[in-house]
Amino acid sequence: MTPAVVVDRNPRPGRRPDQPGSGDAAVPAPETDAREDRRRQEERWRRRRSLERQLHDGAALRISSLALRLGVLENGSVDPDDGARHRDIAALQDEVAAALEELRAVASQIYPPLLHEAGLGPALRELVTARQRDVVLDVAADRAEPAVEGAVYFALADCLEASGAPLAVRIRREPGTVEGGDIVVVVIEGADPALGPAVLDEAGPLGGTVDVEGAPGSAGTITARFPCA
Amino acid sequence: MRVAVAEDGALFRQGLVMLLEASGHEVVACVPGGDELVAALANDPVDVALLDIRMPPEPDGGLVTAERLRAAHPEMGLLFLSHYAESHYLVRILEIGTDRVGYRLKEKVGSVEVLSDTLSRIADGEIVIEPVLAKRLVEKPRNDRKDVVAALSERERDVLKLMAEGRSNGGIASTLFVSGKAVEKHIASIFDKLGLHGDASVHHRRVLAVLTYLRSQRGES
Repeated sequence: MTPAVVVDRNPRPGRRPDQPGSGDAAVPAPETDAREDRRRQEERWRRRRSLERQLHDGAALRISSLALRLGVLENGSVDPDDGARHRDIAALQDEVAAALEELRAVASQIYPPLLHEAGLGPALRELVTARQRDVVLDVAADRAEPAVEGAVYFALADCLEASGAPLAVRIRREPGTVEGGDIVVVVIEGADPALGPAVLDEAGPLGGTVDVEGAPGSAGTITARFPCA
Repeated sequence: MRVAVAEDGALFRQGLVMLLEASGHEVVACVPGGDELVAALANDPVDVALLDIRMPPEPDGGLVTAERLRAAHPEMGLLFLSHYAESHYLVRILEIGTDRVGYRLKEKVGSVEVLSDTLSRIADGEIVIEPVLAKRLVEKPRNDRKDVVAALSERERDVLKLMAEGRSNGGIASTLFVSGKAVEKHIASIFDKLGLHGDASVHHRRVLAVLTYLRSQRGES
């Protein structure tokens, strides 16, 4: 946990000297804790994103190139009637494809590349299409930082995982009510209010909040707010 | 066939060149990024250029490079190879061009036959789409909206799926074990149900049918 005395060694440029806690290191102000939590969360999402990239540029590429090398081997077969050899190579090709399929599944659990490249709208549409789910998406095109996009994406992925109910999801980036950054507001209609805590698991660490309407076990509405930096 | 390769992963690039040469194609350029490819082909276009989607210039250099190549050499075929088969990229690819294009998973072009078949279909003007993607998009439409595709019969959906893979009528007929006439009838019915009438050429309407479907899946109207 946070030490009793907090010394901010790296004040960020955006920080104003009149903010509490900026000069007085003797009393750990709550905001300093919040900022430290936020920084840790951002670092965590950055690491996840770079892990996905590492998989893509490393193992996945290496295994994909095996598929090509096998193709070259098969073509080099001297005896065109060597059926056993062709069958062996075809079986290996299938194994290569299966390994890559598993890697893609893992990568999408770490940080979907489409989320990084195209944002929440395209990434969520792909998720909903791939899982053949009955979800109406209404996502404003504004991009947010990786921590916020990651948290929103995985909060919704958890909701989709937990229940097969038809959902209507609306995502908007709105100006924050308190001083500071914008807030990404996510409204999930048709969701079981019992899923509220799962959504809070993603929104909470970023300083966000979750409101639920309706009785657990029924189709209610979950409204989550994810503050941007 | 004369081809060129742009891919930032050295291992995959080398493997691809080996397989292309084993298939009897002439690799006239083999470069690690999009800008290099545009430069290499400026005065010496090829039949088909093979591009990684996720390469420099980041983040999706393959797409911006393809736009530049299509503008400079409209006759040149474009084959996108990616680790991911996603409808988001397919729609962007179809926005770059609706003929002489292909989008396949990297590991699925790993034989001389598949690679050569993919390249020659693109050079012949077809659209070649990774079957798993076409299947995912067409087979089980989501039931959240009364989208146009829901109005299609099961057999019409099979036909649309094969159209989305870029198959010709003959190819569709032999895959589904039906006559060419039957395929034409299904396609006419698909055009009708998707509201594609008028003067557009059949090829153009085929592409519009596929795009209509994909857009309905992306939640666009």
